[in-house]
Amino acid sequence: MATAIAERLSATGTVNALELRGVTKQFGALVALSDVTLSVRPGERRAILGSNGAGKTTLLNCITGDFPASSGTIRFFGEDVTRFPAHERIRRGLRRTYQISLLFGGLSVLDNVYLACLGVSRGRFSLLRPKRDDALLESARTLVHAVHLDAVAERRVAELAHGQQRQLEVALALAGAPRFLLFDEPAAGLSPAERSDLVAILNGLPAHMGFIIIEHDMDVALRVVESVTLMHEGRIFKEGTPEEIEADPEVQELYLGHGHG
Amino acid sequence: MAAARPGFASATGAPATDREAAVPPAAWIGALVLLFLPAIASDFFLVQVFGWALILGTIALSLQFLAGYGGMVSLVQMTVAGFAGYMVAILGTSGLAQISLGWPFWLAVPAAILLAVLFGTLSGALAVRTAGIYTIVITLAIAAAFFYFTRQNETVFGGFLGFNGVRAPVFWGIDWRSPVPFYYLCLAWAAIAWGLVVWVIRAPFGLALQGIRDNPRRMAALGFDVTAHRIAAYAFAAFLAAPAGILLTWLNGQIAPGTVGIGPVIDVLVIAVVGGLGRPIGPFIGALLYVLLRIFALDALVALGLSGQRFQLLIGLGFLVTVLFSPDGILGLWERARRRRAATAAAGTAGGR
Amino acid sequence: MIARSGPDGGGVEGAGRGVLGWIERRPLAALLLALAVVLLLWLVLADWPDEVERWLGRKRVFVSALFNGITLGGLYFLVATGFTLIFGLMRNVNLAHGSLYLFGGYLGYTTVQATGLWLPAFVVAFVLVAIAGLLLQTLVFRHMEGEELRQTLVTIGLSIVFADLMLWVWGGDFYQIPTPEWLAGPVELPIVLDVRPNGEPIYLRYPRVRLVIFAASVVIGVLLWLAINRTRVGMLIRAGVDDREMLAASGVPIQLLFALVFAFGAGLAGMAGVVGGTFQSISPGEDTRFLLASLVVVIVGGLGSIPGAALGALLIGLAEQFGSVYLPTYAIVFSFLVMVLVLAFRPQGLLAMR
Repeated sequence: MATAIAERLSATGTVNALELRGVTKQFGALVALSDVTLSVRPGERRAILGSNGAGKTTLLNCITGDFPASSGTIRFFGEDVTRFPAHERIRRGLRRTYQISLLFGGLSVLDNVYLACLGVSRGRFSLLRPKRDDALLESARTLVHAVHLDAVAERRVAELAHGQQRQLEVALALAGAPRFLLFDEPAAGLSPAERSDLVAILNGLPAHMGFIIIEHDMDVALRVVESVTLMHEGRIFKEGTPEEIEADPEVQELYLGHGHG
Repeated sequence: MAAARPGFASATGAPATDREAAVPPAAWIGALVLLFLPAIASDFFLVQVFGWALILGTIALSLQFLAGYGGMVSLVQMTVAGFAGYMVAILGTSGLAQISLGWPFWLAVPAAILLAVLFGTLSGALAVRTAGIYTIVITLAIAAAFFYFTRQNETVFGGFLGFNGVRAPVFWGIDWRSPVPFYYLCLAWAAIAWGLVVWVIRAPFGLALQGIRDNPRRMAALGFDVTAHRIAAYAFAAFLAAPAGILLTWLNGQIAPGTVGIGPVIDVLVIAVVGGLGRPIGPFIGALLYVLLRIFALDALVALGLSGQRFQLLIGLGFLVTVLFSPDGILGLWERARRRRAATAAAGTAGGR
Repeated sequence: MIARSGPDGGGVEGAGRGVLGWIERRPLAALLLALAVVLLLWLVLADWPDEVERWLGRKRVFVSALFNGITLGGLYFLVATGFTLIFGLMRNVNLAHGSLYLFGGYLGYTTVQATGLWLPAFVVAFVLVAIAGLLLQTLVFRHMEGEELRQTLVTIGLSIVFADLMLWVWGGDFYQIPTPEWLAGPVELPIVLDVRPNGEPIYLRYPRVRLVIFAASVVIGVLLWLAINRTRVGMLIRAGVDDREMLAASGVPIQLLFALVFAFGAGLAGMAGVVGGTFQSISPGEDTRFLLASLVVVIVGGLGSIPGAALGALLIGLAEQFGSVYLPTYAIVFSFLVMVLVLAFRPQGLLAMR
C-alpha cells in the first residue's frame, strides 16, 4: 500500500524528500529506534530534538545507511532505498555531517573537500591525476569559500581549530548536488560567534535543499527550521512548529526544562 | 602500528606532507648506480643478488601498496606472483611437456598475468568481506590453501616437484636469460611498478583508497563504494606482483610448491615491514637486505660455529627487533635520524645567535 | 572513535540462550539441520541397503571417517579455542599459537621419555607453555595494547624464532608419544558395521585413546563454557569481549585478566600438543599445520566465539577426514573449501555475534 501511495505522490509531483515507515533499529536486545514514521517535504527544514539516548543519531545512521534499519522502509524522493548501501544513498543526493568529526586529518582542507566532490562524481576510480583547472578542484575551491575556510585551504585538517573542523564537516556535506542534508549537532563545541556564522551558512543554503538538524542549542536549531520533531526513548513523541513545541507544557517538562540533557 | 602509516598523498598539490619535496639526491645516485650496475658488478651479483632483490622487492611492493595505502596487510601477494609463474609454466614451455601447452611467450606471458590478476582479485574479494586484522588471517589461509593445492595436484600443477626448465625467451635478437638483459628486465619492471605506485597514490583512485584506509565509514558517506575500491586495490597489487612472479620463475628456471609455501609468503611480509611500509622504496631496501643476508649469512653463521640452519633464527630476530623498536622499518629509522640531525642543526644555529 | 564495521569479534557467547530464538528466526535452517542429524544417525546405526553402499562405499569406511573426523575435531577444538579466546579478549591474532602447540608436544614427549608417565606430560606441557604465554603477554604484548597489526607482526616474528629454536633443541625427527597401556588398543562399540554370512554382526572397534581424548575435549569445552557463562571471571571476560573500555573503567585489574587468559589459552595449546603427539606425531612444520587449522576453524566458526570454535573444529575435522576418504587427492583443500564457502556467504563466521 505504501508503494501505491508513493507512486501516486510522485506522479503528482508532491513526493516527499524523506519518507520513513515503521523504521526500527535493534542492537542485540537494545531497541534504539522503535517504529519511527516520519515524512519530510522537499525543501523542508526540520529539527529533531530529544535527550541523549533518544535515538536521534541512530535515526540519521539508519537514513544514511551507516547502520541499516532492522525493519521498516525508507524512501528518498520516492525511491525505496531501505536496502541500499550508504554510498548508493549518497549518490542519490543525500548528505550528512557527523557529530564527532570524521575528517581526514592528514589531508589539507582542500583535499578533504576534493575527496567529497570526487565521491559523488564519475571519476572515483580514475588513475589520472587532476590538473590545476580540474572541474572537481574548482567546485572544491568554491565549497571551501562557501564555508569561509579560504584562509586555511592548504592547511592540514589536524592543525585546524575545532570550529573550523565543524565548518569543514558542513562543506563535505555540501559537495556535489545534494538534495537533502542531515546535520548531526553541527554547533557542538562552537563559540557564540561561530554559532551565528553557522546559522548564516545554514540559512544561506538554496531554498530547495531541505535538511534535518539534530541540535541541542535551541538558539541555533529554532532559528533555522520550520518544523520540529521530538524524540523520546527511540520513538517520535511530538511534531509541530517551533512555536508549538516551545509552548507545549509536556515538552517543557520533558526536555527543555532539563537544558542540555 | 600507526607509526608505519604513510601520510596522505595530495591530489590537489596542497603540501599536506613534507614528502612532496623534490626527489632527494640519494635517489638519483641510487638510480644511476642501478642503471650502470652491469659495468661494475659480476654476473652473480647482477642476477643472484640484484635481480633477485628487485623481484622480491616488487612482490613486497605490492604488499606495501595494499598495507600502506589500503590498510590491508595481504599475505596473498607471493601466492599471486607464484600463480603467475605457474601459469607461464603451464601455458608456455617447461620440462614437463605432458602438461605445458607450449604457447609462444608473447601469448603465455600476458595470459599468465591476466589470470594472476584474476586470481588476486578473487582472493581480494574474499578477504575484503571483513576488514582490519582479519585480512591477515584470511589471506594467510588462502595462501596456504594454494600451497597445499599445488602440492597435491599432479595433473595441472605438477605436484610436489612442480615445473622445471621454465626459461626466459629469446626475442629481438636478445637472449633474455643471459645475466645483463635479465637484470635489465628485472630493473625495468621494478621501476615501472614503483612508478605506477607513486603515480596511483596521487591519482583520485589512490587518494580514495587512502581515505578508505583512514576512515571507511566516512568514505561511504561521501559516496565511495568502499568494497569496490578495496577489491580494485587487490587487482592493481596483483598486476604489480604477477610479472615479478614470472621473472622469479625465469630466474630459478623452475616453479614448485616451495616457491609459494608459508615460508616465502611470510618472507615477503618480513621484507616489506623491515624495509618500511611507509613508502614504495621501503620494500626494495628490505629485499636487498634479505637477499644479502640469505646469501652471506650462511657463511657468517658457519664462521661463528653455528649451523647454517640458524638462518631462520637470524631472519626472525631481525624482524622482531624491527617490529619492536622501529615499526616503520629501516626507512623510518633513517627518516628519524635525518629529522634529528635537522633538529640539532636548527638548534645549533639558534644557539649560535 | 566509531567502531569499525568489520568483524566485531562476536563473542564468547552463551549458546544455550540463543538456540530457541535461532529456531524461531530460521525455521528452515533448523529443519534442515535436524534432518541432517537424523540422516547421520541413521547412516551410523542402520544396516545399509545396497543403494547406500553403492553411493558411499562400505559402511566401515564411512563410519571410521566419521569417527576420525569427530575426534580430530576434538583436537582442533583444543588448539583453536585458546586462539579464539585470546583474540576475543585482547584482539591479538596470535600467529605463534602453532608454535605453542608444538612446544607443548615436544615438552610432553620429553616428559614421557623421562618419566614413562603419560598424564603428567599434560600437566608439564600445560604449565610450562602457560608460563611461556604469561611471559609473552606481560613482557611484550601489554606494551603494545591496541596496536593490533604490530602485535600480530610480533607473533609472526616469534613463530619464526620459536620454530628455529625448537629445531635446534629437538632436531628434525618425527616423535610419537606412546599411548599408555591402559588406553592402548581398541574398544568395541555397539555399532554394527556389517553382518557376517553366518549372521554374526561385526561391531566397530575404535582406538580407546581417541575416544577418551575426545571425551576429555568435550569436557574441557563444556567446563570452559560454564566458566565463561557462570563465573565472575567469565563474566569479566565476556564484558571485556563486548566492551573493553567499560571493563577498563570498572576498576577490574584488566592486565591480570589479560595475562591469565593468555596463559590459559597458551596452556590449552600446549596440552593439545601432547594430544596431537599421541594421536599423530610431532615434527617441525606441525606448528604451521596446526596454526592454519586453527585459523580455518575460527574463520569458519567466527573469530572470538568458543561455540564457534567447537562447530568450526567439528566441520573442519569432518571435512578433512571425509575428504581424505572420498577425494584423497584434495583432502586438505577440502577444508579450505569449507572456509571459502563460509567467507563468501557469512564472512563473520557461522556463530559470530554479528
